Amino acid sequence: MSPPHRVNPQPLSLSPRQPKDPTTTKMARINFSVLTILSVILLLPVLSLSFSPDSPSDRRLLVLFDDLSLKSSHSIFFNSLKSRGFDLDFKLADDPKLALQRYGQYLYDGLILFSPSIERFGGALDLAAVLDFVDSGHDLIIAADSSASDLIKSVATECGVDFDEDPSALVIDHRSYAVVGTEGDHTLIAADDFIESDVLLGENKIELKVRVLNVYGFWIKQAPVLYKGIAHSLNAANNLVLKVLSASPAAYSANPSSKLSSPPSLTGSSISLVSVVQARNNARIMITGSLDLFSNRFFRSSIQKAGSPKKYDKSGNEQFVAELSKWVFHERGHLKAVNLRHNKAGETDEPAMYRIKDDLDFSVEIYEWSGKSWEPYVANDVQVQFYMMSPYVLKTLSNDKKGLYHTSFKVPDVYGVFQFKVEYNRLGYTSLLLSKQIPVRPFKHNEYERFITAAFPYYGASFTMMAGFFIFSFVYLYHK
Amino acid sequence: MARTTSSDAQALFHSLRSAYTSTPTSLKIIDLYVCFAVFTAIIQVVYMAVVGSFPFNSFLSGVLSCVGTAVLAVCLRIQVNKENKEFKDLAPERAFADFVLCNLVLHLVIMNFLG
Amino acid sequence: MAVTKTEPINGSTTKSSAPPLPSMPLKSDLLSILSLKSLRLKTKQQELLIRVSILCLVYVLAFITRLFSVLRYESMIHEFDPYFNYRTTLFLTQKGFYEFWNWFDSESWYPLGRIIGGTLYPGLMVTAAMMYWGLRFLRFAVHIREVCVLTAPFFASNTTLVAYFFGKEIWDTGAGLVAAVLIAICPGYISRSVAGSYDNEGVAIFALLLTFYLFVKAVNTGSLAWGLASAFGYFYMVSAWGGYVFIINLIPLYVLALLITGRYSMRLYVAYNCMYVLGMLLAMQIRFVGFQHVQSGEHMAAMGVFFLMQVFYFLDWVKHLLNDKKLFEAFLRITVTCAVGVGSIALGVGTASGYISPWSGRFYSLLDPTYAKDHIPIIASVSEHQPTAWSSFMFDFHILLFLFPAGLYFCFKRLSDATIFIVMYGLTSMYFAGVMVRLILVATPAVCLISAIAVSATIKNLTMLLRTKSKVSQTGSTKGTGGGKTSSKAMLDQSQPFQRNGAIALLFGAFYLLSRYAIHCTWVTSEAYSSPSIVLAARGAHGNRVIFDDYREAYYWLRQNTPPDAKVMSWWDYGYQITAMGNRTVIVDNNTWNNTHIATVGRAMSSYEDEAYEIMRSLDVDYVLVVFGGVTGYSSDDINKFLWMVRIGGGVFPVIKEPDYLVNGEYRVDKGAAPKMLNCLMIWNSDLVTSYPHQNHNDLRTYKSIWMYKLSYYRFGELMTEYGKPPGYDRARGVEIGNKDIKLEHLEEAFTTSNWIVRIYKVKPPNNRW
Repeated sequence: MSPPHRVNPQPLSLSPRQPKDPTTTKMARINFSVLTILSVILLLPVLSLSFSPDSPSDRRLLVLFDDLSLKSSHSIFFNSLKSRGFDLDFKLADDPKLALQRYGQYLYDGLILFSPSIERFGGALDLAAVLDFVDSGHDLIIAADSSASDLIKSVATECGVDFDEDPSALVIDHRSYAVVGTEGDHTLIAADDFIESDVLLGENKIELKVRVLNVYGFWIKQAPVLYKGIAHSLNAANNLVLKVLSASPAAYSANPSSKLSSPPSLTGSSISLVSVVQARNNARIMITGSLDLFSNRFFRSSIQKAGSPKKYDKSGNEQFVAELSKWVFHERGHLKAVNLRHNKAGETDEPAMYRIKDDLDFSVEIYEWSGKSWEPYVANDVQVQFYMMSPYVLKTLSNDKKGLYHTSFKVPDVYGVFQFKVEYNRLGYTSLLLSKQIPVRPFKHNEYERFITAAFPYYGASFTMMAGFFIFSFVYLYHK
Repeated sequence: MARTTSSDAQALFHSLRSAYTSTPTSLKIIDLYVCFAVFTAIIQVVYMAVVGSFPFNSFLSGVLSCVGTAVLAVCLRIQVNKENKEFKDLAPERAFADFVLCNLVLHLVIMNFLG
Repeated sequence: MAVTKTEPINGSTTKSSAPPLPSMPLKSDLLSILSLKSLRLKTKQQELLIRVSILCLVYVLAFITRLFSVLRYESMIHEFDPYFNYRTTLFLTQKGFYEFWNWFDSESWYPLGRIIGGTLYPGLMVTAAMMYWGLRFLRFAVHIREVCVLTAPFFASNTTLVAYFFGKEIWDTGAGLVAAVLIAICPGYISRSVAGSYDNEGVAIFALLLTFYLFVKAVNTGSLAWGLASAFGYFYMVSAWGGYVFIINLIPLYVLALLITGRYSMRLYVAYNCMYVLGMLLAMQIRFVGFQHVQSGEHMAAMGVFFLMQVFYFLDWVKHLLNDKKLFEAFLRITVTCAVGVGSIALGVGTASGYISPWSGRFYSLLDPTYAKDHIPIIASVSEHQPTAWSSFMFDFHILLFLFPAGLYFCFKRLSDATIFIVMYGLTSMYFAGVMVRLILVATPAVCLISAIAVSATIKNLTMLLRTKSKVSQTGSTKGTGGGKTSSKAMLDQSQPFQRNGAIALLFGAFYLLSRYAIHCTWVTSEAYSSPSIVLAARGAHGNRVIFDDYREAYYWLRQNTPPDAKVMSWWDYGYQITAMGNRTVIVDNNTWNNTHIATVGRAMSSYEDEAYEIMRSLDVDYVLVVFGGVTGYSSDDINKFLWMVRIGGGVFPVIKEPDYLVNGEYRVDKGAAPKMLNCLMIWNSDLVTSYPHQNHNDLRTYKSIWMYKLSYYRFGELMTEYGKPPGYDRARGVEIGNKDIKLEHLEEAFTTSNWIVRIYKVKPPNNRW
């Protein structure tokens, strides 16, 4: 047996979450074969690192920079990612060897575009490649700033977000700017208009938050996030994109260094500062117009919103970015539904076809990915439809707190090709769209009711006639 | 007017009765059989009108068995009646055999249709 | 006597089938020798022998003349409906009768499904399956497809036998023989019974004629047994074809006519009552027909006549008993008032309570040819349901069309119960044949029979004339024992000059006509009616035959390359074929039971792509199949059917308006097409804009074409179809298409067959990021 063959199976059996490089180098050390082995080794990561359905979290990320100084200026963010177990691959955006996939396999699970000014990616990467990357289920973070290139803008546009077309415009807010030492041009904003979703932003906000009494009751308020960058708006035609952090109503997008000659095109809370998209294939995209949002400087900076007496020692950026990146990289809010099962009441096997008015049991298991393992997902709003052009049965599933959702119902008195449909779309969670086709047939000829009481006279008449026939024949033949 | 009608009817009835008495016994048996069948059919129709036509196939088979029986019996009556010149060359035995055959088919189909 | 008369027929039939041609003179020689030399006693046996042999020849001829399609193409199922029949037969032979009876098909009419067992006429399938099982039992290892392909010719052969007996019953054996020959090769019948045309009609015409024959026989004999037999014939007919409604209306009409004209008899009573009661009961066993005999308006005539007959004969009987006019009149008054009152009350209550359903649209459209066009586009859209053109009468009947009135004349001259029946059958069916093309089929047996009477009677008279002449000159008067009338007539005519020569000339004329008929029939069969329509043939540039097998190519592609549960949307014409050959679920098919569903598809086809996409999503469509003849010049493609889609769609969804698709009341696909067809195509070709300056440029901003148009002509603009024409030249319509730059948003081309006849598109999933 030649050495390559021996090498092959071992890495394949590795769990995808284990770091790859040590293994391969160790292999290389063990086998002193030369080029052939080397090529195999190069292949190994590809084979073994492919996305595993068992753990939806991303592992390998590609980070693209305009210049490598960002690596140090944003190191806190990167280190937090590394500490969460990600493999980061830092590259210059115009690196001629840039490639997202090799031999039809994607090399990365996620892409972070920290290269706002790049006009053309190096290597095999281009707009279509980035979109394909997303369309095949991988995640993307785009951070732009005032130098955003057309390329970055068009990537964002394809994801349903339009950056301000004016290249010199920044988000300006004269009311909720961040108070810094000197009176600036109010382009450094303290934004705190978050989306209300624990799934997106995480639940552990207690240390950094104060409770603020609001007309709506108690709600948790996070420290504002420092933002300096360009504005974008959501494309109204896209119903998948969400504003996670929007600007205050007083904000507008304009060139801070020149006087306003015409009303700004983007104003108020229609300006989005950070948006996310969850595509139909559950690929997640985060788009922001501020690269500084992720920077060490903003992470470490204290913050005081203009007009607010409260001064936070630390801006909300680090937590905000960390929590959102957890969501983007599928460490949170990822559901899976498995074992969709249905059977006739009292049976266990799944039939190929139901009959009208059958009683049936339906069950499905739903789990949530906690970042490490699949935990039962508990909710009381999961529904199943028994659907043929329109739902004939719509039932809320009851769950046993262990992930098993269950219900039973009677098949309607309509035949046709039905579907069990579970459509579960909740903010932040991956959407569950399950459907299973099942035909429902009418009664067979021998399944109808028989010996109906109301029909006894008819039975009687028929048999009387028959008897009458015999008697008549008898009498008729022998009456002489 | 009413008087004349009733007297007419009486006269009619009388003459009918007198004419009928001359019918051969075999034909009278058939007539009785036909009346029985028609009577059963009428009872069923009335019953259906009261109860409703739910097991419609049962109702149909019940009524049609009566109607069929009656009609076939009338056919037999026509065929075996000596007065009918058209059926001179049809032997009564043959007619009866045909009748039995038709009845068998009728009742078999009724059995199939009843349930 | 019948011997000489049948000879020319025999000659013409042998001529029609090319190989046995030399045997003709030989046979006639033999015949003449025999008839001259043999003794009078033996004539009967000879005649029987000749009759039987002629019948056998006709039987074989009827079969082999229908095999052109197998020889020309291959042994395969034709057309559209036969594919469904084939599929169900296959199911029947594989799964058995009970499974078949209860079959719920989830592969058609997605997502509604179809109860196959309850919505078909099982006669054909059961017949074929019986033959298959029979052959299997006899250890003939045949494939069920072969059985299906040959079912129709086999039953056509049987029909000739029935026609013989029927002709014999209504006229004489000679007419029977002529009828058998005529019907064996009559194009009107062949059109539906060539090998491979595995359709209900193939069996049903046999059943129809059998029922009529048995009924006439029952009326003639007054026997219950024949009545029972005709009930069974009716049962078979009901199980085979929806055309049984014709029987259940014609027979009461006939009975009524006899009652009114006073030709009624006890025999009629026995025959009709036995046939009606038992036939109705038997027919109710067919699930598809069910209670219709007592519930639907179409069948009420029969029931009414049934009751009328009871009353009528009861009165007759009472009258017979009474022997007193005055008393009977009194009785009559009472009974008739009662009967009419009860009858009208029953009918009124039944109709008002909806218990008796009104006449169906198809029935109306038969009585009033314009009804379907105004009210039910789905019926009017089928080419078979169009009113018949004169040319197709000529094409299908040829000389029978002229012999038919002559036959009617003979029938009226010798009125009997049977001839009245055939006359009524002929006249009504001819009327219906004029209303709908496909009903020519129903008229064919009647036309053949009546024509046969004409031919037979004419030739008989003429030969009689010749023979009496010669016999008179030889031995004095030895008159034929044939029809007394004709011979006496011949006697009277003796004095006329040139009679003999005239008779000979007329005989030759008749032979000439009959041989023309045979030639015409053979030609029609081979050229027009043997094409399977699923494989198309055309003449190439050098006169060679080009075969377009695109349909099957596409269906096999579907079968091989799409997921098993894929749903295919197409216009309903192709539904049966897709399920049978492609084995994929279809949205609508040729069983047009749900007009709304078809209209939904029609709406999708005639909408803009976005709207169509919504509809397709709601129906879970995975693939779309369109038929397109622009490359090959195949004219019955979806573009030409498109207006029907619009009409049918518009019938249910008023959003779809026919005028939107027309320009000045004209349907066009080229540059001058309606804006909705290709809104805006002008902008793509600047030269077009100049040539059509009146076009509004603002229209051209959005790029939208109706979807059917897009699907058919997608990428067509790049294609050079014919030398010397611009690219994108549509050969089926002879125009250059108006919109050559077609882009699809929600669909992608999945497969296009080699001649572009079938194009399959895949429906893309919704945009990932939008």
